[in-house]
Amino acid sequence: MSESRRPPAMDAKALARARREALRARTRAIRRRVAALAVGLFALTFLIVSAQLASGHDPALLAAARRRSTSTETTRHSAAAQGTTTSTGSETESGSTGSSDSEASGVETSASGGSGEGGSPGEASSSSAVTTSQS
Amino acid sequence: MFATALGPHLFWIASRAAGTAALLLSSATVCAGLLIGARTLAGRRAELRAAHEALSLAALAAIAVHGLTLLGDGFLHPSLADVSVPFVSGYETLWTSAGIVAFWALLVLGLSYYARTRIGVARWRRLHRLAALAWLLGLAHSLGEGTDAGQTWFLAMVALAVVPALALLAARALDSLARGQRSARPRAQAPPTPAGAAR
Repeated sequence: MSESRRPPAMDAKALARARREALRARTRAIRRRVAALAVGLFALTFLIVSAQLASGHDPALLAAARRRSTSTETTRHSAAAQGTTTSTGSETESGSTGSSDSEASGVETSASGGSGEGGSPGEASSSSAVTTSQS
Repeated sequence: MFATALGPHLFWIASRAAGTAALLLSSATVCAGLLIGARTLAGRRAELRAAHEALSLAALAAIAVHGLTLLGDGFLHPSLADVSVPFVSGYETLWTSAGIVAFWALLVLGLSYYARTRIGVARWRRLHRLAALAWLLGLAHSLGEGTDAGQTWFLAMVALAVVPALALLAARALDSLARGQRSARPRAQAPPTPAGAAR
């Protein structure tokens, strides 16, 4: 009866040591889990972005393609307004169609132009894509 | 074929992935940090502290990867100063700088944990609260400049991590506000003690 109420000093020390060990083990497990979570999150996001890019739905490249088609349209309109040859107009028309094709295959467009976030990277790819589609 | 097509973008994709992972991990860090102080989880403090520490180190590593992989990007060609010093980069200067400031603030405020006895625990705690502001700055950076900020998958992932953190942050702010009012009221309403009554 008295043994259950007051454990011997050695047992208390052993219990404390066991608790410390258990906490340390839990901490190690948490660290491992967090490391796995971090790697998993990175891998998952990497896969999503890669798939997005390969399928031609990358937001930066799509925005660049849209800007490119707008600028091609503007060029066509200004050329028509200046009264240049009709053949130039039809050529640029096919150019704008080409840009929509390159929207579908974003990787090809970007591979020729380069990468980057937001707007500026796409502009480089836009000029090359227009050249490709016109030629 | 897939790898060849992605080849030129490898650093860019890695940077975007690391940035998203960093945002999710830092949001989880904020959640764990705020839960340490919650009364309902008082029995789980040791585990929460371990999770908070591990998550914050993982978030810092992810942010470092986010910045460093950008150095290899074939189009932007940023210098080390562009990705580490605010207002140096010419690309989206404001948002980029917000991200850089958030990183340095998180690094200093996070690693200061290991010097808290030197700083003084109470002072360190007050300082550490600023980490939430740095996280908000990072959130603004990713929503303002992030390439995937408009994507459904990104918004869904971010909402899962950010909304609970924001809710906990608001709850903590309201709690400390109420506690401040409660501690101010008795002082204001307490009748003046007669001289020498304390003795």
